[in-house]
Amino acid sequence: MAIPTGTSFLSSLGGTAGISRARRMKNLLWWSACVLALALVVAPVVWILVSITAKAMANWQWTIFTQNSTGIGGGLLNTIVGTMVLTFGTGILAGFVGVGSGIFLAEFAPKNRFSAIMRGACETLSGIPSIVFGYCGYLALVVGLHWGYSLAPALIVLSLLVVPYIAKSTEIALQQVPVAYREGAEALGFTMPRTLRKIVLRPALPGILTGMILALAISVGETAPLLFTAGFSNSIPTGALVHEPIGYLTYATYTFYDEPVPAAQHLAADASFLLVVIVLGLILLTRLIVRLTQRYSPTRRDRQTRAMRRAAAAVASGTVAAGAGTATPGA
Amino acid sequence: MSDRLGEPSNTPLSSTDNVMSARDVSLGFGATTVMQDITVNFPRGSINALVGPSGSGKTTFLRSMNRLNDKVPGFWLRGEVCLDGHDLNGSDVDPLILRRKVGMVFQRPNPFPMSIMDNVVAGVRAHKMAKRSELRDIAETRLAEVGLWSHISDRLDDSPFRLSGGQQQLLCLARALAVEPEVLLLDEPTSSLDPRSTEAVEELVRRLTPELTVIIVTHNLDQARRLSDNTIFFYEGQLMETGPTPQLFDAPQRLETQRYLGGAVTVNGDN
Repeated sequence: MAIPTGTSFLSSLGGTAGISRARRMKNLLWWSACVLALALVVAPVVWILVSITAKAMANWQWTIFTQNSTGIGGGLLNTIVGTMVLTFGTGILAGFVGVGSGIFLAEFAPKNRFSAIMRGACETLSGIPSIVFGYCGYLALVVGLHWGYSLAPALIVLSLLVVPYIAKSTEIALQQVPVAYREGAEALGFTMPRTLRKIVLRPALPGILTGMILALAISVGETAPLLFTAGFSNSIPTGALVHEPIGYLTYATYTFYDEPVPAAQHLAADASFLLVVIVLGLILLTRLIVRLTQRYSPTRRDRQTRAMRRAAAAVASGTVAAGAGTATPGA
Repeated sequence: MSDRLGEPSNTPLSSTDNVMSARDVSLGFGATTVMQDITVNFPRGSINALVGPSGSGKTTFLRSMNRLNDKVPGFWLRGEVCLDGHDLNGSDVDPLILRRKVGMVFQRPNPFPMSIMDNVVAGVRAHKMAKRSELRDIAETRLAEVGLWSHISDRLDDSPFRLSGGQQQLLCLARALAVEPEVLLLDEPTSSLDPRSTEAVEELVRRLTPELTVIIVTHNLDQARRLSDNTIFFYEGQLMETGPTPQLFDAPQRLETQRYLGGAVTVNGDN
């Protein structure tokens, strides 16, 4: 199309109207759709946070941190400690197994039928409903091995439940580490374990940690498998692995909400609130670890100039996330 | 095969000291043969340019000189690649020690995700070549050697990804040099760099010889011409012609070499 002579170049691109009305409408429509979608995601989060907080704060008593539950009131100390013990234990047990199998699948597994079966098994495991895990754990461990409702069967069942997430996110995180890192290390005469330890694991860490935190968040929030394996107890866990039932926060929410006693109902709200706080805490923890470990990664912040970053840091003094925290997680 | 070698070949040089050599080397992946019957010598202290069209197997050949192809599925190699007269692929060779003696720098800068200082001494640490207290001095020496020290002496603890592409490549060279290799393999080391950085790398390579032997794959014929002592021309998996660079460029013997060095896209002249 020839540009008409005599008129300016710009005017030939759209007359005086600029962007056409139809296109403006289309833009507006799509923008509205995007904003709506965002609202549909954000609104429930806000609503849950606000309503849970309001409900808990209405009858907040600090004694929930100092007293054990009694069934019709008291505090939540035993359930808080129980959830901590279960989460921590699952983190260790599932962490070792999950990260280990993820590393194996990504780095060492031969590309053959065996690894394919292992991957398939891992994916199947993640698809099994948690209540089935609970039931199987009950049959095999609580009854079968005569362990009774206790910590060990609960840890094993929770770990089985979350290992696939950790393994998968570890595998993906390792696969996403640039081949150039490995080749560089290999060309320099690094041994395979050293390459893994010094070069590959660090950039994969955010992905691995994301998987770990997701797993821990799931295990904090699980109820069904615990009902079958941990039972419930109104006293603080002594650390015994077997023959001692253990309390946990989700049980408080699940059971106390329809007790006929207001004190118990308040505890259900408090327990929900604490569960949300713990999960948020876990997410913040990952962000922190990611930021501390990704100092040397080629992340977004490296595209900014040093001066810009310094200025931003001076102005915001820590309130602006410095970029590493936004590193794309592997999962 | 020796009859594949053009007349100005480097056979006379074989009587001198060859740090690396390939004898009747064929290599490939699975059923595919990438290179056939390559015999070539790399005299100690020289700069050798491997040139040829894309897909002629230069890089695969280069990578087999420090056994980087070992883990590539289906890779095979027949014949002998020797370092100081020892077959690299012999059962008595530890590939980790080999790679310390034969370093490599890649097409794209690939600093490790660790501080600049840790990058330089990564290999030194891996091979336990120095005490902890000596590492900083080593880093300084090597960075000065590649001409980076004056620019980044106050940024040793920074991320290497904040350096420019050219500086990153010089850092990778410093890292490779820190383990004191005998031979340095360069796989198109300047193809992703701007002209000034390219000049810096070339100038460094010149300075490093004759203490070091350099084998460089390049698509830049001007670079091969101004930088190398010997040029080896590969075409379709064969070694077409090799010889001292001025000779090869000024009086190529084979038609394919004449066409390629003359800038023809299709060497055969079929179309």
